[in-house]
Amino acid sequence: MAQHQVEYLNSGGLPIALTSVDKLVQWGRSNSVWALSYGLACCAIEMMAAGGSRYDFDRFGTIFRASPRHSDVMIIAGTLTKKHAEFTRRLYDQMAEPKWVISMGSCANTGGMFNTYSTVQGVDRIIPVDIYLPGCAPRPETLQYALMLLQKKIRRQGANRKQALKRLV
Amino acid sequence: MRRYQDKHNVQKQAYYTDRFNVQPSLPRFEVTEDSLFNATLLHVKGLVDVLEAYVEAGQLVVWVAPKANVSALKAFKTAGYENLSEMSAVDFIAQKGGFEVFYQLLSMEKHERARVKCFVPQGETLHSVTEVYKSANWSEREMYDMFGILLENHPYMKRLLMPDDWQGHPLLKTYPLQGDEAAQWYEIDTIFGKEYREVVGPENRDPARVDARNTVDFSRIGHEVESGAPYSATPTAQEYQEKGGIAVVSKITKEKAKTLKERP
Amino acid sequence: MENQSPNRLRPFFENIAFEREDNRMVINMGPQHPSAHGQLRLILELDGEMITKAVPCVGYMHRGMEKMAENMIYNEFLPTTDRMDYVAASSTNYGFALAVEKLLDIQAPRRAEVIRTMLLELNRLTSHLLWLATHALDVGAMTIFLYAFREREYILDLIEDYCGARLTHSAVRIGGVPLDLPEGWTAKLAAFCEKFPSDIDDYEGLLTKNRIWKMRLEGVGVVTPEQAKSWGCTGVILRGSGVEWDIRKEEPYALYEELDFDVPVAKEGDSYARYLVYMEEMRQSTRMLKQLIRLYQESEPGIMAHAPRYLSAPKEQIMTQNYALMQHFVLVTQGMRPPKGEVYVATESPKGELGFYINSQGDPYPYRLKVRAPSFFHCAFYQEWMVGLYLADVVTILGNSNIILGEIDR
Repeated sequence: MAQHQVEYLNSGGLPIALTSVDKLVQWGRSNSVWALSYGLACCAIEMMAAGGSRYDFDRFGTIFRASPRHSDVMIIAGTLTKKHAEFTRRLYDQMAEPKWVISMGSCANTGGMFNTYSTVQGVDRIIPVDIYLPGCAPRPETLQYALMLLQKKIRRQGANRKQALKRLV
Repeated sequence: MRRYQDKHNVQKQAYYTDRFNVQPSLPRFEVTEDSLFNATLLHVKGLVDVLEAYVEAGQLVVWVAPKANVSALKAFKTAGYENLSEMSAVDFIAQKGGFEVFYQLLSMEKHERARVKCFVPQGETLHSVTEVYKSANWSEREMYDMFGILLENHPYMKRLLMPDDWQGHPLLKTYPLQGDEAAQWYEIDTIFGKEYREVVGPENRDPARVDARNTVDFSRIGHEVESGAPYSATPTAQEYQEKGGIAVVSKITKEKAKTLKERP
Repeated sequence: MENQSPNRLRPFFENIAFEREDNRMVINMGPQHPSAHGQLRLILELDGEMITKAVPCVGYMHRGMEKMAENMIYNEFLPTTDRMDYVAASSTNYGFALAVEKLLDIQAPRRAEVIRTMLLELNRLTSHLLWLATHALDVGAMTIFLYAFREREYILDLIEDYCGARLTHSAVRIGGVPLDLPEGWTAKLAAFCEKFPSDIDDYEGLLTKNRIWKMRLEGVGVVTPEQAKSWGCTGVILRGSGVEWDIRKEEPYALYEELDFDVPVAKEGDSYARYLVYMEEMRQSTRMLKQLIRLYQESEPGIMAHAPRYLSAPKEQIMTQNYALMQHFVLVTQGMRPPKGEVYVATESPKGELGFYINSQGDPYPYRLKVRAPSFFHCAFYQEWMVGLYLADVVTILGNSNIILGEIDR
């Protein structure tokens, strides 16, 4: 079977025209993705380990910021409960454009093992998600891979794009 | 014919029961003269009306009337049980019409544990024991939140674990595990409003639902495609960077990766 | 405060009035913290910089585990206990397994007890290291975070070699452990135990005599023994106030009776004393691990208890003998039926007294399972603990009290 690289510069066959300014700006954006530390549960410990010395996050240019206003990507690590859902939406709305979301772990993807009354069944009911990370808890290397995929995704987007309408406002 | 659902207990039940099976119980021992708990029990009996007392699993269990819970705990406190480890309720509404509230006590000097139990019929209120042990403050709030048992004279009787405007008391046996309608739409209602229910759609509570042809929500491992592109049979290479690499950043490919035997 | 019903324009938390006559400010340390404690919401009322009232709001991580337990068989619930105290997952697993074993009245074999005790002490180390890392990070000493996580990676390597998972182990089962130690694991553990005390010396060298650390921690958050006992504080908070109560010594379980270790107790009851207790506990854990390696080599193989009514047979028998396969099938699909009754079993988790109350009516699912989480009571204690402290001390207390929201909310 022939292996092929997914050409991320093509979108369903049609090439996206990226000018060199676009490429430069997006290269800059991808190499300094500042993350909002949104560690909710067990995946937060793995996210902290990913930021630790063995799986260093700083070499990707990713620094954990406390305030949503400073950050580009929101890594939702852990279970989102219905009590907390409102705050997540608020924090997402407070982030400045351009922003991305990585949903880390089973609980953030789909509610995980907690098929109960108080768990939001997937954080994409509330906010639009770019990268889903499976695992319970995903290893720090998985989070690194997700970050690199996100960097690839950022580089193929135009610099001036308007927020593409996703399933939710 | 639709499946019979017992409305009094919507938790999962064993689908097969041996008709003639009688489950054994944990043995209960009398508190005899030479038992460790004898001194405690005599002390407590002098101060409060004890309905029943036995030793189960190495711990003393004392049954009292619900109106006497504060005096029973005060009696135990004078007997040396200075620590309330835990307290909560068990839902027996369908079987007996009420809750079994238990208080788990610990005496550090005597190395003993005891449990005070009382039966609270549904609808009756219980007096709070925060004046005796402060750790009951939050335990009672949690008990109210989960079961709906009201407490008198509690300093801050408010829901603890569920949001303040939650409808229903989750740990009752009549409350389904996945929540009733108010629960399932709670977050959509509070954030976006009821009109958005159709926009977002119901929750997916089926853990086994996988639609392989759906490339928007799922991605076939080893054969990933762009979101929305047609389902492909050719395997995709897993690379960290685009072909040709990125400017200034060092290039990594799978061939250049080294496999280490020992972690440094 | 007006008593309006909340709507989308003015939800609950905006009903807190900010203009008050007595000049006190209400601050909301919301559910998302820059510090790494989880989703705790603290509503503080301040008079200048001093706290007059502190109300912790929890429930942002309530996942309904106790209700899940009423719908799952005992073995199926065990991985859920991992997610309660997620930094020391095997301790919670062990607490649950011990409670069920008490209900069934079975005893795990010797080698399983050795492995379990090793896991418990390794988890104590990971938990204390995470405590140190996040506490130091909050107070301001950020290097310790990186150093402690480096040590933690070595311990997680060991645990991953054993059971395959770094964080959520499920390595302790009802009746024993499912796996024996792999080849060379005890050698790696011995190498780690040789190296680790020098790392604790590193941390102590950076913090213990540090003037800034002492100023931030000494005298902050003093807990009297009566307060601690009344509020249900256990673990290091109790021992930091002078009460000598450690369940490993007083009501021993696993192999703690045979191991030779001391329990550090401090008198002052402030944060600095608790810090010293934690550091000493780490040293004692390393001491215990060295003794356990020797005990492992002397033990006979056999890692699950023999109780055919409640537990499955070993895999070799299941694959070759018919009745073992049938029994295993029934136990996995229907679940084992324990006797009717209730038990409460407490173990000393790294955070304090972790207790499991199981009320069984003879069904394969527990009728009621209540988890006594130590962090729950420590968090409740904030209402009295933080009054009279300054705002900067709040961060110290949050770090020092070693709470994990996964346990509090379950």
